[in-house]
Amino acid sequence: MDQNREKVIEIATRIYDLDTKVYQCLGSSLGRVYTGRRDDCIESLAVLLSGGRQTYMLRSELALVGNMARTIPDKDECARAMEEYNKILQDVKELPDTFGKVDIMDKERIQLNSIDLRNRFSENDHLIICIGRTQGCAGTDIGFALADALKINFYDTEIFNAVRKRLEAEQDVVPDSLGSDVYPFLNPNPPRSRSSFKEMLNTITRYHGLPKEDAVFFNESDLICSMAKKEDFVIMGRCADLVLANNRIPHISVFITAPFELRVRRIMETHGLDHKKASHLLRQLDRRRGSYYHFYTGSKWGDPVNYDLCLNSACYGIEKSVELIARMINQQIGRPDNP
Amino acid sequence: MYHNVRLRASGARGTERKEGPAQPLFAFISPVSLVSLGGLFLKKTVCAAAGLLTAFLCCTPVFAADGSAGSTSLWFCIPFAGLLLSIAVLPLVKPEWWDKNKAKAVIFWSLLFIVPYAVTNGAGQSASVTLECLINDYLPFIVLLFGLFCVSGNITLEGDLVGSPRVNIALLVLGTLLSSCIGTTGASMLMVRPLIKINSWRKRKCQTMIFFIFLISNIGGCLTPIGDPPLLMGFMRGVPFFWSLRLFPVLLFNMTALLFIYFWIDRRAYMKDIAEGRKPDISRPGTQVHISGGHNIFFLLLIVLAVILSGILPSLPVFQSASGTARGLHLLGVTLSYPSIIEIALILLAAWLSFRTTDASVRTKNHFTWSAIQEVATLFVGIFITMQPALMLLKTSGAELGLTQPAQMFWAAGALSSFLDNTPTYLVFLTTAGSLGFVSGMATSVGTVPMKMLMAISCGSVFMGANTYIGNAPNFMVKSISDENGIRMPSFFRYMLWSVCILIPVFLLDMVLFFM
Repeated sequence: MDQNREKVIEIATRIYDLDTKVYQCLGSSLGRVYTGRRDDCIESLAVLLSGGRQTYMLRSELALVGNMARTIPDKDECARAMEEYNKILQDVKELPDTFGKVDIMDKERIQLNSIDLRNRFSENDHLIICIGRTQGCAGTDIGFALADALKINFYDTEIFNAVRKRLEAEQDVVPDSLGSDVYPFLNPNPPRSRSSFKEMLNTITRYHGLPKEDAVFFNESDLICSMAKKEDFVIMGRCADLVLANNRIPHISVFITAPFELRVRRIMETHGLDHKKASHLLRQLDRRRGSYYHFYTGSKWGDPVNYDLCLNSACYGIEKSVELIARMINQQIGRPDNP
Repeated sequence: MYHNVRLRASGARGTERKEGPAQPLFAFISPVSLVSLGGLFLKKTVCAAAGLLTAFLCCTPVFAADGSAGSTSLWFCIPFAGLLLSIAVLPLVKPEWWDKNKAKAVIFWSLLFIVPYAVTNGAGQSASVTLECLINDYLPFIVLLFGLFCVSGNITLEGDLVGSPRVNIALLVLGTLLSSCIGTTGASMLMVRPLIKINSWRKRKCQTMIFFIFLISNIGGCLTPIGDPPLLMGFMRGVPFFWSLRLFPVLLFNMTALLFIYFWIDRRAYMKDIAEGRKPDISRPGTQVHISGGHNIFFLLLIVLAVILSGILPSLPVFQSASGTARGLHLLGVTLSYPSIIEIALILLAAWLSFRTTDASVRTKNHFTWSAIQEVATLFVGIFITMQPALMLLKTSGAELGLTQPAQMFWAAGALSSFLDNTPTYLVFLTTAGSLGFVSGMATSVGTVPMKMLMAISCGSVFMGANTYIGNAPNFMVKSISDENGIRMPSFFRYMLWSVCILIPVFLLDMVLFFM
């Protein structure tokens, strides 16, 4: 099985490298077949190579690489690229039938969803805990206490924004006035200002034609990934679990919620709202968080299959929830048990 | 936009009118047979089939479409259908073979028309039809495409604008409106690379190119005679230059409906791309966009001018002989008119100057290769030759179709424009409408045509070229350029599925709202 996997990865790597080489030879700026990160593309190719219903996609993608290779102006380079292309085609044809039965992606997912965290983190990886939560379930308090217990950094929305602004300032980037208003769930009633045409044009220019929310998401994704390479931390929301998963950065994802009525009661107490307003606010915020998560991840927010651990904080309270999560993490990844 | 096609009278000579057995021919062009074309016995199969079919066509009495002796047989349309099926099927079943041998397939199907036509109508007639088609139809068509391809290949968009649904929509709107100013082919060639480039970070992007074909390569050309050749032909027959602006509400409706559909499709694709972890490089603050080779816009305008002149000059007395026919060079018995020569010369000059004045690095960045134009040139020479009988039949039988309502005209002109050259299709239906004896409407040189009917014919001819890859020349160019730059475009039939599912319902609404 491992040999199959190695073979598939080897061919996938060669396909990716050929595409890279062809693109470099052409000097084109119009784009190539595999435009994502190298590891991601190779992994996707490995999935295609492993057979199933998607083999036609592999053929099409290979044909596109071939199309581009044929247009290399330098005849020697073209011949070399085509030779490699033909070899790859041959190797793909020679893959044994059993490859179709090896469902590599499922195996990966099983590995990813396992609570055997010891295998997930290598010595060089940092401990990153992504916490998703419903409003009013004390998820932020749990996250903060957990970070404190594990002696690692904690990033919630405000802190995260501050870090982002600081980084932008350090990089001598045009300061961005984006506040929490770009995240609808942070402010249930964001002010709707009428922007002039000039402001609209400025926004388009500043964010490369992207909607402001998308540009911020992409920047934050970069930031999360670069932070993940430097330090241990707990991060609240931002679809960080999917961002890290897409970038193949090991992490633990936790989703915390509590019964609606209990959350309403807590919001009534903490925000001084009556029951009707608190219920309305919770529903609105849950809906916005759900659509935000769905838009950027394609997955359903709060669906247990997307997380390593789902927790009803009402069953344990803040302190015990922290203890539970910390114990699980410490036991599984071999950290000293010290909450 | 198969440019500058002229109608000719059917030249078929006496053929007996009897109905021959259809089964053997249909069996020959069945998908099973075509799949076998790509097999090990391809050569033998093709030769045997060619021989059989030629013999069949020569020996079997044929069915005359218009009921009169001397007309073109329906059987002669089989090579056209065969070529279309080859274009549709062979790249799927035998892509490598097709890549190397498409020229042979084109020759095969072309000969399958030329030889039997020579046998039944005489070698001279067959040669005349073929040469007329090559010199007067194909030559200006491919030169125009070549010129636009060269000039647009020397313009590149540099910067970090990111392809998102709303940016794509903005560019599609811009391109659609531009189509009426510089022609569908010009706008397509100008816009295709920038759109590919800004979407290069994405994985799912073929929908953008499909809607590009719908809007910029076809529908956008309806507002002026420069937009699409059928309207230029209308202009030459007395339709005022700015009359086509009346089609703006139709264009607006189609654009809105299609862009609405596009937004939802592209948004889904965009979300999937993001969910997979794809993200554009927006590390640099602010958007910087600049155009390299911008001076080529001048050459582009020169080409547009050449196209306009080709429509205007033939009506000037200096380009007409005493008998009223076009003056020009006689090549192998076919006359290439002086306006056409001027057009060709201007276009080639623009292309040459464009290459001379633009740094090669611009073309490198644009991934400029000759493959796309070569593919189109190869395939369309066959399409032009093999579609001649269909055009002849249309010319002789168009008026007998019994079409009297705008909606009928819209669908008839559109259905035929989906596969045939839309310029003669437009002219046939315009002439038919002009001969129906209406007393109110637009007075043209072919008679008075009611406004609604003229709108229907114009829209049908221009819009429905988007139904297939071969419906309009830029369609195939856009496909070829996309194929070359990492975009997996749908196959011939899959593209038709897109057009049937998206365009046809919109056209049905057009009919209800504008042509009933």
